[in-house]
Amino acid sequence: MNASANSVIVMNGVSKAFGPHVVAKDLSISVSKGEIVALLGRTGAGKSTVLNMVMGNLRADSGTVRVAGLDPYGEFKKLRGKMAVSFQQDRLLPWRTAIENVELGLLILNISKAEARKTAKLWLARVNLADAEDKYVHELSGGMRQRVSLARALAVDPELVLLDESFSQLDHVTSKALRADFSKVAREFKKTCLFVTHRIEDAIEMADRVLVLRPGAGLCLEERVAANVREDEAARAALHDRIAAAMGDHGE
Amino acid sequence: MENTQTKSDIRVAQAPANVPNAEARVKSDLIPTLVVSALLILVIQIASFYVPSYIIPAPAEILKSAWQILSRDANHIFTTGIRLFIALFFAMGIGVLFGIIMGTLPKIRPYLRALVIIDTGIPALSWMLVAIFWFKEPEFRIFFILSVILIPFYALNIYDGIRALPKEWVDMIESFRPNRWQVLRYLVFPHIVPYIFLTTKSIVGYAIRMAIFAELVASAIGIGAQMNLAQSNFRIDQIFAWTLLLVIINLSLQAFVAMLEKIALRYRAEASVR
Repeated sequence: MNASANSVIVMNGVSKAFGPHVVAKDLSISVSKGEIVALLGRTGAGKSTVLNMVMGNLRADSGTVRVAGLDPYGEFKKLRGKMAVSFQQDRLLPWRTAIENVELGLLILNISKAEARKTAKLWLARVNLADAEDKYVHELSGGMRQRVSLARALAVDPELVLLDESFSQLDHVTSKALRADFSKVAREFKKTCLFVTHRIEDAIEMADRVLVLRPGAGLCLEERVAANVREDEAARAALHDRIAAAMGDHGE
Repeated sequence: MENTQTKSDIRVAQAPANVPNAEARVKSDLIPTLVVSALLILVIQIASFYVPSYIIPAPAEILKSAWQILSRDANHIFTTGIRLFIALFFAMGIGVLFGIIMGTLPKIRPYLRALVIIDTGIPALSWMLVAIFWFKEPEFRIFFILSVILIPFYALNIYDGIRALPKEWVDMIESFRPNRWQVLRYLVFPHIVPYIFLTTKSIVGYAIRMAIFAELVASAIGIGAQMNLAQSNFRIDQIFAWTLLLVIINLSLQAFVAMLEKIALRYRAEASVR
């Protein structure tokens, strides 16, 4: 894996085990600035472990993890404002309205209330929720909640956006629309993204590059997704099959 | 790399949350409360035909005494109310503080929890007798008694509330790298508000009883002291009248807290069970 000065995430020879169970073995990954990378794998392949190490929630047993040049576990607080996460569940706070949820990260970064409100409005409009800013969480649909969650992550203008199966709990139509919206916004604002998914379609649809992890085997496929693959049915099907084979099943 | 900065601060145990819907409960309780009240009045009326009035006075006699109290002794109701409010808010403040400390500072938790648990084991009567020895001023006695009795309720319920904080929310807010104060402000404080209301609703009745009891043994003014006086003068009609007024005060306070809860927790979805 070629890590350059342009890399936002660099994992070098990383291993992680929980007791006797090895979930990551000598793993080397890098994600460049502005790149959207999908991390695929079956359950137990170590995707969430990798994501948690990048987030700074877990410490690697060996090897190094760097995000924007910093150790995300040891220098947890120094990454303040440089990274944002969108989770599988929306994790919105029910006592805050949609716009107040989007403001949350901004307020934590000590941005003034007025400025936070202005930025939150802008991001809610970008995810097509300008009309829902004063609604409470229970008044929003699943898709709307996930849009708010994405707006909350993007509003802090992070160098790196991490997506943890963010679209997997939505129905197919909503998920597809949201993926398209997210890709558009991420590319427009040149965000670096690492997203974890078990859905091959999501990865092909959104990513510039696909990484496949296999339980016990570590990184077993790394493939760039050419722009024409998304339009070319045959090329798309071929890539789908290669990823599925690397994952060790047929995916979804 | 050495761990120069470690991932935070707020560490919470997990447990399921269950906070009932206040408004639905108040509405569904109203009609049965009125029916039971009417039945009790009927029973007292019938009983008053068969026993002397110094045992069970007629409802009309009780109402007449209640009116006399309201027109002549309202200052005692006011005094008790003020004592109750001050002690309740003080207990709420200290209890919430203790609960937050127990929920967020694992090193202090066992000691503070032990202190609170020991407090719950001390009978209210012991505190009342101790207060008479310790404080000369009746106001301090009553404030002390109510505080030491009520603080553990808030402390333990708020601690339970923090334990029920979903780990997903903690991870979400931590992904923005907040400081400890921001975690408390944006996550912990709003999350424990329903538990503060739940505790307040649960203990209002108990707090009134304790205030009356404390006044009975430690003060010359207030409802408890007046009930003591009524008992000394063999005025059972006044005891019934004070009791009636206390029930009304209790129900009014419950309704007031439920109304505040409805305003403060307007973000919650209304749910009903078929």
